[in-house]
Amino acid sequence: MKFAWKLFLGITVFYGALTVVYAMLAHEVVGITALALSTGLSLIIGYYFWFTDRRLGAQPQDRLQAEIHEGAGELGFFSPGSWWPLPVAGSTIVVGLGLILGWWLTMIGVGLLLITVIGFTMEYSRPGHGPH
Amino acid sequence: MTSTLEHSESGTAPANRPNLVAVGTIVWLSSELMFFAALFAMYFTARSVQGPKVWLESTGMLNIPFSTLNTTVLVLSSVTCQFGVFAAERFQLRRTGSALDFRKWGMTEWFALTFLMGAFFVGGQIFEYANLVSEGLSFSTNAYSSVFYLTTGFHGLHVTGGLVAFLILLARTFKARRFGHSQATSAIVVSYYWHFVDIVWIGLFATIYLIK
Repeated sequence: MKFAWKLFLGITVFYGALTVVYAMLAHEVVGITALALSTGLSLIIGYYFWFTDRRLGAQPQDRLQAEIHEGAGELGFFSPGSWWPLPVAGSTIVVGLGLILGWWLTMIGVGLLLITVIGFTMEYSRPGHGPH
Repeated sequence: MTSTLEHSESGTAPANRPNLVAVGTIVWLSSELMFFAALFAMYFTARSVQGPKVWLESTGMLNIPFSTLNTTVLVLSSVTCQFGVFAAERFQLRRTGSALDFRKWGMTEWFALTFLMGAFFVGGQIFEYANLVSEGLSFSTNAYSSVFYLTTGFHGLHVTGGLVAFLILLARTFKARRFGHSQATSAIVVSYYWHFVDIVWIGLFATIYLIK
């Protein structure tokens, strides 16, 4: 993680300096807002990586002599396949169409979205409905 | 199938590598920040194009003491949320003492309190909108009212989304047979989101209610 936090905190410093320079030269708020919050964007990621690096210590990717097998092991839990994203996306379409066609459709869409999001997030929490 | 089931319950990642769920959440939150950057930029553009007169007329209608109270509740809900995370990190789902003894609260109690405080905030926002509309500042009154409702409204939608996330999280931990790493990870990433929404609100509050 060493390279990752150095990269992102370096970008933070760059954007921070750019924000100051831009603010002094341009006297215009939109660019200042965009640059200041870009500083924030890279700061969030950089700080998190720095924090994680400090918590976990040296990772195999930090050492040039590391072997591939040192990075082996469980990466996390990944769904082997799920149909739930499809109805979630469909409900989002209904919400968006409702903004054009009428609020009644948006309300229906929000209801559908809630149901499908609950289905999506609870898929592996239901007893006996583990991944097949 | 048994092995995959154990997989999903035993946790998202071993302790010696970065948690992918948390990294993904952080990257997503940084892109959310840029979404709010667009809203801030819109607010400032409208202000500089319209000139100070429209702003002076409209910002006088804001109820600063009430929104300060609302903001305080939201900021404190971040504190209670963090206590919930501390409970989740020691894998304590429920309280071990009486309901009033908050030192022995588990994640469920802290997150339920956070949920109530977040719901208070959203309710307060709706109350504030209703007052403003009755005083004649509706969505399409002028440029100020449009950007006011857009910025605070999108933030309100984010808080509402956070409330739904808390409910789903509590339902998931309720369903899980065992409170393990994967449940704790969900609690931690929901807290990241909640803190983020809180910080964005501090920025919005400072811009809209204090600096004007």
